[in-house]
Amino acid sequence: MSEGPLSDVRVLELPGAAGAYCGKLLADLGADVIKVEPPGGDPSRRLPPFFHDDPHPEKSLYFFAFNTSKRSITLDLGRADGRALLQRLAQRADVLIDCFPPGHMESLGLGYESLRQLNPALVYCSITGFGLWGPHAHYKCSDLIAVAMSGMMYLAGFPEDPPNRPYGDQSYYCASVQAAAGILTALLHRDRMGRGQLVEVSMQEALAMNQETAMQYWDLRQELRRRQGEGRRLPSGEWFRVPGIGTYECADGHVYLMIGVPGFGAPISVLIQWMAEEGMAQDLTSPEWQEVFSRLDLRLLVQLYQGADTSAAQEWLPRFRHVDGIIEAFVRTKRKQELYEEGQRRGLLVAPVNTPRDVLENRQLNERGFFQEIEHPELGTTFRYPGPPYRLHGTPARIWRRPPRIGEHNREVYLGELGLTEAELAALAGAGII
Amino acid sequence: MTGDELPLKGIRVADFSWFGAGPIFTMALAHYGAEVIRIESQIRPDGLRLTQPMPKDRPPGINLSGYYNNFNAGKLSFSLNMASQQGRELALRLIAKSDIVAENFTPGTFEKWGLTYERILQVKPDIIMVREPMQGLSGPHRDFAGFGAVITPLAGISYLSGFPHRPPVGLGTNYTDYVINPGHALVATLAALRYRNRTGKGQLIEVAQFESSVNVISVALLDCAANGRVQERQGNRLPYACPHGAYRCQGDDRWVAIAVFSDEEWEAFCRVVDEEWVRDQRFATLLGRKAHEDELDRLIESWTSQREAEEVMEQLQAAGVPAGVVQSAADTLDRDPHLKARGYYHYLEHPEAGRTAYDGPGFRLSETPGGPRGPAPLLGQHTEYVCKQVLGLSDDEIADLVAEGVLQ
Repeated sequence: MSEGPLSDVRVLELPGAAGAYCGKLLADLGADVIKVEPPGGDPSRRLPPFFHDDPHPEKSLYFFAFNTSKRSITLDLGRADGRALLQRLAQRADVLIDCFPPGHMESLGLGYESLRQLNPALVYCSITGFGLWGPHAHYKCSDLIAVAMSGMMYLAGFPEDPPNRPYGDQSYYCASVQAAAGILTALLHRDRMGRGQLVEVSMQEALAMNQETAMQYWDLRQELRRRQGEGRRLPSGEWFRVPGIGTYECADGHVYLMIGVPGFGAPISVLIQWMAEEGMAQDLTSPEWQEVFSRLDLRLLVQLYQGADTSAAQEWLPRFRHVDGIIEAFVRTKRKQELYEEGQRRGLLVAPVNTPRDVLENRQLNERGFFQEIEHPELGTTFRYPGPPYRLHGTPARIWRRPPRIGEHNREVYLGELGLTEAELAALAGAGII
Repeated sequence: MTGDELPLKGIRVADFSWFGAGPIFTMALAHYGAEVIRIESQIRPDGLRLTQPMPKDRPPGINLSGYYNNFNAGKLSFSLNMASQQGRELALRLIAKSDIVAENFTPGTFEKWGLTYERILQVKPDIIMVREPMQGLSGPHRDFAGFGAVITPLAGISYLSGFPHRPPVGLGTNYTDYVINPGHALVATLAALRYRNRTGKGQLIEVAQFESSVNVISVALLDCAANGRVQERQGNRLPYACPHGAYRCQGDDRWVAIAVFSDEEWEAFCRVVDEEWVRDQRFATLLGRKAHEDELDRLIESWTSQREAEEVMEQLQAAGVPAGVVQSAADTLDRDPHLKARGYYHYLEHPEAGRTAYDGPGFRLSETPGGPRGPAPLLGQHTEYVCKQVLGLSDDEIADLVAEGVLQ
């Protein structure tokens, strides 16, 4: 028995990449999550990257990332015996996670309406691209299609380029987070009423909030937010950056600065003081420039961003270019972690554009013991995983065990928990069902 | 509707959070029945109340921000001056009558108000206290300043997203503020609430936004930890799918996303496009397409750019190819027939902003359908309700508090 808060919850997770992070969240919180894989393994076991680049289904780092703390059984849902076994498993489960397209489980006789007859307390969670009903419900989806249709992709990238897909199947994370929240809400209801229900997650809807303010700009002002890349473009096409706000190249990469936005961190004068200490402020410490900076308030910035007043832009852009050039030269002399630590010490909003290695080496994460060393005895190695996204100080979430091997828990689940005999298990294995 | 009560009915949340990641989390609790009381003040309003977008052609106002309103649907607003001793005492009394207390200030702010976890336990032993600091409640960077815009680069998301020839500018938004961080806080809180219902024990939950956000690049982190590889930006491409990208269509900044994974999808794609070049043998296999991806992308765009994005999507989807319009907010709100049929956006009447759109819930429950149960509150709209119904104050006591500037 784990000490996680969900140690009383049993989950069946059917194949599909979109729901794997949901299963991981529940498993790391202590639930018993059984991953039901087709014989040969879940399709996501074939996704790169692989451990030491060896494309083997037991070595997919993609699979590892989403499947900690789970158990694995194999089961062919295309066979009658496989479906009968799933029904037995569902009878003793609290939650089932289904990422098949709408109608697929019904076609197997395993849809929500069938399974709830067997187990009225079951919480059945469906994760699909567009939900279970509506004119696009049958549309094929992938991460790229989901981020496109949600509106979030339209906002990412440079205006000259195609809109950008965010790295790393973000739609699966977002849909899974929403699914886990939906499952837990439904469990709270079940605890009180004794009945389960259907949790429906549409990836498009799960992602929609990521549009930030774009929807409201359209609703309230009929203004379309577009991708800006770096800095801002005036209606004339002229490009500018408000000095101190944006992504700057430094000695070993990039940093993001957000300096001088009223209410967020120290003002730009603190940056100029720092530059002056290093002899790199040029003329920016002069009274004329001090006077200029004192006029830079939020209203002016908004005015320039919206480009309504081109005379203001004409007045300000040459100044911005002058100041920005001096800041760029200063930033280029320093390393990103130095800019981060020293900038933050001075109260400036500075962040390094961290690489994955920078994240693994980050002081804060390491001193807080964020990463967990997970042993993979079969690979003869141990490496670090990101820890859970939250800390429950009474009932910790953690990675309880390494991701499972294909069908690793067949015997303990089918023999020990479902009560199959050795002969039955051998027959099912021989027939390729398990 | 079966008439079941919403799952979180009877749960009260003392919500001290502000900006994005906190209020969106507590809004989900409100969607499903919790009574969420925002503690705000005229003196130190939520920054989003002062932020665009607000309705056009009117002077700005503290109740008009769409940014704020969309994250606070169905909540109550209690204006309380936390700079006063009496204000802090009332806050503690409110917490004593709540199940959950939420905050996302810089560490130390709550302590400065005397609202430590230990103190709160004295008045509410089974409280669930949710704190969402940037960097965590401990560690060498605990006091570093930050908010969503800084988390995206810090967590490695910016470095990995976008085209390789561009600087790593991120996703154009404070991405993890809207689903990832509030969603993680929600999952932890609901798990803790169930645990409390089972055992009677509350607990402290810490959602360091940095740690929460880092989880969404977990694959790249494992690649680095196990293989020593630092992944780089790949634009819209994937190693195992081709074509995979966004292609220009007819009109102003119109694009369609196309993702071909299997041979069947490629063959279906070829049937729809039906141009000479799709029969080029170099494109017959995934490896062939990957080897000539730049050329293939140009050819595809020569075809899409003569068509409307919706038309390309519909034709490809009808043939079984994953495709979707790169929708703008105008598309998702006004044009997408699917979101419209499903009623994803809710239009609610707000006393000052009028009839405006709100995002619906991120998940749907068949028996207890939640969602926005009312518009966002005006600042201090429910102060009297909270004072009387929750805190049990008399009219005289309330009048004194108003006179002393505590309820502003």
